[in-house]
Amino acid sequence: MSASQAPDTRVDLAGIPLRNPVLTASGTFGYGSEFAPFLDLRRIGGFVAKSLTLKPRFGNPPPRISEAPSGMLNAISLENVGVDAFIDEKLPVIPDGVTVIASLFETEIAGYAAVAERLSEEPRIAGLEVNASCPHVKSGGIEFGQNPKVLAELVRSVRRATSRPLLVKLSPNVTDIGEMARVCEAEGADGISLINAVQGLEVDPETRRPVLSNVLGGLSGPAIRPIALRMVWQASRAVTLPICGIGGIATAADAIKFLLCGATAVQVGTANYLDPAVAGEIVDGIEDYLKRHGIERVSDLVGALEIPPDRRS
Amino acid sequence: MADPVPIRTDAVVVENRSEGGANRRLRLQVDGWRGFGPGQFVMLSPGSRADVVRSDPLLPRPMAVYRAAPAGAGAVVEILFKVSGRGTGLLADVLPGQRVALVGPLGRSFDLPESGERAILVAGGTGIASVYELAARARANTEVSVLLGARTRDDLMGVEDFESLGVALRLATEDGSAGEQGLVTALLEAELAVDGTARVYVCGPTPMMRRCAEISAARGRPCVVSLENTMACGFGVCLGCAAPLATGGYALVCRDGPMFDAEQVAWEGLP
Ligand SMILES: Cc1cc2nc3c(=O)[nH]c(=O)nc-3n(C[C@H](O)[C@H](O)[C@H](O)COP(=O)(O)OP(=O)(O)OC[C@H]3O[C@@H](n4cnc5c(N)ncnc54)[C@H](O)[C@@H]3O)c2cc1C
Ligand SMILES: Cc1cc2nc3c(=O)[nH]c(=O)nc-3n(C[C@H](O)[C@H](O)[C@H](O)COP(=O)(O)O)c2cc1C
Ligand code: FES
Repeated sequence: MSASQAPDTRVDLAGIPLRNPVLTASGTFGYGSEFAPFLDLRRIGGFVAKSLTLKPRFGNPPPRISEAPSGMLNAISLENVGVDAFIDEKLPVIPDGVTVIASLFETEIAGYAAVAERLSEEPRIAGLEVNASCPHVKSGGIEFGQNPKVLAELVRSVRRATSRPLLVKLSPNVTDIGEMARVCEAEGADGISLINAVQGLEVDPETRRPVLSNVLGGLSGPAIRPIALRMVWQASRAVTLPICGIGGIATAADAIKFLLCGATAVQVGTANYLDPAVAGEIVDGIEDYLKRHGIERVSDLVGALEIPPDRRS
Repeated sequence: MADPVPIRTDAVVVENRSEGGANRRLRLQVDGWRGFGPGQFVMLSPGSRADVVRSDPLLPRPMAVYRAAPAGAGAVVEILFKVSGRGTGLLADVLPGQRVALVGPLGRSFDLPESGERAILVAGGTGIASVYELAARARANTEVSVLLGARTRDDLMGVEDFESLGVALRLATEDGSAGEQGLVTALLEAELAVDGTARVYVCGPTPMMRRCAEISAARGRPCVVSLENTMACGFGVCLGCAAPLATGGYALVCRDGPMFDAEQVAWEGLP
């Protein structure tokens, strides 16, 4: 490759063509337009919008967030504008050429399918991401993504409801992520995204109370990055589905680690709060890396982790 | 006038000095600054964006824009802050010439009082920083009274600046080390005992704001409060700063506020 030639950063994620592998994560990027003052949305691969339910919902009472070592805990819950307001009010203000992935969740499987159907009518949406980290009302509040049978039923039902590219976002709060990935593959998902926030708890010793009103929260940020990297690597060995890597990504180097561990693309989450333009800088940083190493296509990095022969298990 | 579009940049520290007690004054050269409205805030992280990413503490800290004056390719933006934990502790250590990542100005601004309507500004602790610019702008077309409260003299911020504005200024400290001994809410009660129209603006600890809202309501005077919830992003995307509304549901303090009409707020639901 000649020095002047720009490397090819395009990737195909589960049937969604992306100009580069850097997306932003659901719940950390609003409905996109909030970032317009800071970042040209066309510079990044695309964004995943806040998870949507059928009807608008309020979230949890405050406090909803708390800081943790190198991370934060959140318990926002289901707060969102609802699928109709998203389509009628939020999507139309997104500039042409911006790849939008819609995330959806509900507390029952039929609800997920209904949201998926509604979103599938909308050509402006490039693909769907099913957030499987929501507590399932019927199975006593455990996350959909924590039980392989419930997860299978969820993916099957959403798959029936849409022919659009379908990503399933997995919960890290499981013993065997490979098993969950295989369930998604078997039920016809086009790709998987991982990880969602890691379940956590913070306590105020003075008041003897949990810091969050919801008691439990989800840990995100750099603190979870090694966990996320491990899970992406394990999932990539369990399935051939494309993987979108998420968890604590704040720099181009972080993103590249995920690609090396088998992710086709990545999502930047909590880091958007610290620097609303960070996703664009990660794109630039990846291009620099490719040039520096003389790599022609970013896709050449996917799964290129080199494990010395004597360390292979 | 619409609030200016926020920017995200590395500000350069011009000055960072003690103001007595745990309070500090930070002056930042912010190139590209497009102005701000009274009551707006910025998110600050000690350290530059280009540094090795600092991750503990991770989140930026919301700080009111105290005031700003045009300088160079932007403005010198002034922040008054109290060292109260890890984030503000790190901010206390940044030296002139070093960089601080800044996003802002964020939030809405205070609606100025109508001409002829008396404005009573009540502020406690770090809330004092949120009302200086309001006092400075409101005094042009109306009579302004500023009531500042803190635990002790050392906790009061910016007193000389308010004095030089030429507004009517009264102080209260819990230990009597400055102004009257007692709570600033007592000063508000006395002010409102006088007849006539007045609009009350409050920023400070939640119990103080709630009490001011009650006092104003009892006198039938409109009251605006500026809330200081914990924030992660400051621009409406994390949904972390929710404040419960009297009518049900939540508002985002960073986007819909930080100021609200006091009767909009469901006080019992605030942390
Ligand atoms: C819109 C807005 C404007 C603000 N303007 C100013 C200002 O001009 N000057 C100033 O000194 N402070 C201001 N604050 C408060 C300031 O953001 C907090 O004091 C700061 O985040 C504490 O960070 P820390 O890491 O030092 O403390 P932490 O280690 O996070 O906590 C230390 C202590 O501070 C308290 N605290 C944490 N966050 C907040 C908060 N958001 N509000 C009040 N107390 C908090 C905690 O309960 C704890 O007791 C403002 C807050 C908001 C929301
Ligand atoms: C405040 C907050 C809200 C979130 N909301 C959602 C959501 O609505 N749907 C979803 O799938 N993930 C949500 N997430 C999880 C993120 O998309 C991401 O999976 C997780 O934070 C890990 O990535 P990070 O460490 O880069 O933040 C949220 C995360 C945070 C911090
Ligand atoms: S601080 Fe993130 S939404 Fe208000």
